[in-house]
Amino acid sequence: MKISTNWLKEYIPVNHTVEEMANKISLTGIESGPVKLGEELTGLVVGHITSVEPHPDSDHLKVCKVDVGEAEDIQIVCGAPNVAADQYVIVAMHGAHLPNGVRIKRGKLRGQESNGMICGLDEVGVPAKYMPEEFENGIYVFDEPQKPGEAVYDLLGLKDQMIDIDITPNRADTLGMRGAAWEIGATYDEKPSFTEPKLINDKVKEFSDIDVAVENKDLVPDYLIRELKDVKVGKSPLWMQRRLWNQNIRPVNSVIDAANYVMIEYGQPIQAYDLDKLESNQLTVKFAENGDKLNLSDNDKVLDQNDLVVSSGNQIIGLAGIISSDVAKVDENTTNVLLEAGVFDGAHVRKTAQRHDLRNDASNRFEKGVDNGIVTEALTRATQLVDQTDSVKEISETIIGSYIEAKPTIIKGSVSHINHLMGLELTTEKMVGILERLGFNVEVDGDNLTVSVPTRRWDMSIEADLVEEVNRIYGYANLPNTLPAGMETRGGYSPKRELNNKLRNVLLGAGMDEVINYSLLNKKEVDDFNAIDTEYTKLLHPMTEDHEYLRSSLIPGLVRNIAYNQARKNADISIFEQARIFDRPTGQDRPNEVEYISGAVSGNVVSDSWNTKAQKVDFYYVKGLVEELLNNVNADSDFTFVATDEYSNLHPGQTAKILANEQVIGLVGKLHPNYQKAHSIDDTFVFELNVDLLFNLNKKSVQAQSAPKYPSISRDLAILVDKTVENGQIIADIYNNGGKYLKDVNIFDVYEGKNIKPSHKSLGYHLEFLNPDDTLTDDEVEKAFSLVKDSLVQKFNVEIR
Amino acid sequence: MSLNDTLKNLRENGIDEAKRAQRLQELNDLRVNLLGKKGPITKALRGMKDVPAEERPEIGTLANNVKNDIQAAIEEKMDELNKAIVAKKLAEEKIDVTLPATKQVQGTKHILNQTIEDIEQFFIGLGYEVAGGYEVEEDHYNFERLNIPKNHPARDMQDTFYLSDELLMRTQTSAQEGRDMEAHDFTKGPLKMISPGVVYRRDDDDATHSHQFHQIEGLVVDKNISMADLKGTLDALCRHVFGPDREIRFRPSFFPFTEPSVEVDVSCFNCGGEGCRICKYTGWIEVLGAGLTHPNVLKMSGIDPNEYSGMAFGLGPERFAMLKYGVNDIRDFYLNDVRFLEQFKGVN
Repeated sequence: MKISTNWLKEYIPVNHTVEEMANKISLTGIESGPVKLGEELTGLVVGHITSVEPHPDSDHLKVCKVDVGEAEDIQIVCGAPNVAADQYVIVAMHGAHLPNGVRIKRGKLRGQESNGMICGLDEVGVPAKYMPEEFENGIYVFDEPQKPGEAVYDLLGLKDQMIDIDITPNRADTLGMRGAAWEIGATYDEKPSFTEPKLINDKVKEFSDIDVAVENKDLVPDYLIRELKDVKVGKSPLWMQRRLWNQNIRPVNSVIDAANYVMIEYGQPIQAYDLDKLESNQLTVKFAENGDKLNLSDNDKVLDQNDLVVSSGNQIIGLAGIISSDVAKVDENTTNVLLEAGVFDGAHVRKTAQRHDLRNDASNRFEKGVDNGIVTEALTRATQLVDQTDSVKEISETIIGSYIEAKPTIIKGSVSHINHLMGLELTTEKMVGILERLGFNVEVDGDNLTVSVPTRRWDMSIEADLVEEVNRIYGYANLPNTLPAGMETRGGYSPKRELNNKLRNVLLGAGMDEVINYSLLNKKEVDDFNAIDTEYTKLLHPMTEDHEYLRSSLIPGLVRNIAYNQARKNADISIFEQARIFDRPTGQDRPNEVEYISGAVSGNVVSDSWNTKAQKVDFYYVKGLVEELLNNVNADSDFTFVATDEYSNLHPGQTAKILANEQVIGLVGKLHPNYQKAHSIDDTFVFELNVDLLFNLNKKSVQAQSAPKYPSISRDLAILVDKTVENGQIIADIYNNGGKYLKDVNIFDVYEGKNIKPSHKSLGYHLEFLNPDDTLTDDEVEKAFSLVKDSLVQKFNVEIR
Repeated sequence: MSLNDTLKNLRENGIDEAKRAQRLQELNDLRVNLLGKKGPITKALRGMKDVPAEERPEIGTLANNVKNDIQAAIEEKMDELNKAIVAKKLAEEKIDVTLPATKQVQGTKHILNQTIEDIEQFFIGLGYEVAGGYEVEEDHYNFERLNIPKNHPARDMQDTFYLSDELLMRTQTSAQEGRDMEAHDFTKGPLKMISPGVVYRRDDDDATHSHQFHQIEGLVVDKNISMADLKGTLDALCRHVFGPDREIRFRPSFFPFTEPSVEVDVSCFNCGGEGCRICKYTGWIEVLGAGLTHPNVLKMSGIDPNEYSGMAFGLGPERFAMLKYGVNDIRDFYLNDVRFLEQFKGVN
């Protein structure tokens, strides 16, 4: 809400610039910014049109003589349809500056001299939708005579200076000028003064042409009506109109304007109804029937039984706390008026307004709360404003539909505890002084405070609220900087996070860039990689189909990254992500969150350069990354790679499951060529590992051993074997038969094709034997080597070469 | 010619020949030829028998000197030739050091993780534990335990992805507070934790909004926690992240789970507070929200607010990184263009 300083001056002295005030209010209370309307405007004065003649060369232009307070009237050519003699209007003089850089210059319009411009309100900065409807297509005309030549700015509020306060939901007490005056007053230690509204006594009578009933008093604690008889509805005074349009509210008539004005003044929404348009002499607040209609000028809303309405007979005259229907709208022909001031349950108003897309100034205030201590006064004030030009004959006493007397909130606190929570040592006097500045009443009993908080601060209920009030008004800038001074604590990561960090560092060291992807995927992406075969987890109300399902694999995100990069000519990509996947077992609502680390490599791993030859990524490169990750897990476990063709989007001949103790902990493989093609990416190899499973493996206990003092002996073994036999089987068999001194087996050659028996391959192994305690003899090694060879011949029918 | 003259001639010729040698082999040959057992000096000394006895010592000395001088000349020349050989080899081996290197690539940690880890390290140094948390959370922990009952207007501030009536994608890492307070044994000392992680909001993605982003929640609960402790901690954090000359200020704000609640601004690291485009000419940049843990939140976790107090803060790594490195579009963090990622190599 924007707080006009001109208006604020009615309540407290204003001695600072809006910039200073906005800054101070931001630091002590509510985020605020300065607003200065019409800073660019110059040269705008009141003009009195003394004559209007038709333009000799134009059908629509008129030649006006205008008294602008100078010795002679000036001539202005004007095209507005509503221009007429004896009007008091806004004149932009020669040289005047208007909004948006418009500058007015003397000139000729179709041959007739024009020394300025007669303006509409929208031309001088009042937005068209907030100016009175009657001036929408023409110039603005003052209702009453003004002094020609006088600047128009103050008359029309064109250069109002305001403080725009952007409240948090708890500070709706400042959504009225009076509440704002209390807050700003406390900031500057100025107590605001208000005039209590008074009605003309002999107009107020005990009568009522209407029965008011509230069916749901729990949702409508207060519901008050005044009936105003024989009302002459006219225009409201200019001072009220200008304040309204500067609040982005269009002036309509003296009744509706009064209601809106009180909402701004008190923060209490007021509704007005034309009594004679009501269907019955009953006014009831109740739930609507399904299918009831709320007539609004732009469109009708169909209501249901969750909507609280104000009704008369079968007529819906308003959605409670939100908006009045058009059926009982007050217009210039209205003679009998009902003014309504109610308090409606915030949560209920919020839901209804949301449901019907009708959130507005009124609903906003009820949602956040209103001061139920001023409902009666606000209604009286609205009545007074309707009658300010003596336009009402009779006024009823307040007719009560529901009413609960509002009482101040009592909060108990202690000076020492409040100081303790702030980290300050304020004296009791100082603390009490601050609370009193806020308009709170304080009783002191030693260290104990009993604070009576007026109803306008319904956000206050506990001692912690007092801490905030005292601290902010005292000034956060005056707080010392200290650190918590409790017992020593040990900081650090959880062991699982440590493992994640370690694995990430391995991949960073291998030259892979780390990526972060969205957890929410589209249906196709989750279908593409459901290697863990989980139930999907789906959002109830996704924003888009792109982000609808929780991921059960990190691979779709990596594929998207590769496609994005390769489409931008970043051909060689090596990336990884460490994040969670969501694994929902059947019958469970909540998915398990599992830490994964996953990588993808595409293109060259060694680039083509002046001294190196390009090397494309292959299965074994990525398998090497995986093995190095597994080496760093420090697990007392053997990891095996088992060929698999069970994943539809992975290459059936170049994919392996990774097992630890017979449990699948991940996979490594090439993307299926069809899948690559569908995503327009080059050959790409991926892996994923379940970090949670790795974390749960038994840790290796490393016992240091001296580096061996005796030399090792090696043997090379070349074999010819059927193509289908896997290296893993051979290696395992060599270890099984190599005896206790066999330390290491490496494959150094794999060959098939020319000079090799069809469907066979030639493999070369390097075996290393070592006895850490003694020198090995050739005999010992030869014996072991023979056993190895014999077994291979026997088991795999190999040919030793 | 006297023996004396012969020897002197040999010396003169020998030295001359050594000096003229072009190759190491010539010098080796020269040494063998002149100084060897079959060489002219040995041969000449055979004529010693004809020399009178009293002159023999003198001739002997001369012969030795001649040998030494020739030897020295040869060595000197050898040294010279060796140096020339090395120099030539080095000259031949000269390379163009401006040719590009053979790449030794370290990958780049994602800038968000660099930012998060920088902040984690700061707090670990102050004795904070880094806690995890669930990304799929119960309404109970994400809202109700944070003093945000159903229909609370504060729920408007964050639109939520629900999975069911009770399950949602957490909208804030504060959701971890209730779980951590429940799990903590206060007889073993204060609770000091930060909880980094991913959060989700039902938002359209644009340059400044993302349906997924990161937060780091901080929470300390102990017997003597004050607003001054909060200010001191966040002041130190902002100096750590944004530079030693930074200052912070508190502005009152509202969060349902803290009371008092503040927004924290840091003095603009670009202009130092003078006012510039980055700080929107205010000299200050809003960086995080904080406050003292609301007594209701403590109570709901079984903690007596009369005995204990808590401070909590929440910050956004995306915002920190955007401010610090001038990233203008939050979506850049999630597109993972490697050219974007790699520019942050080693910044933290």
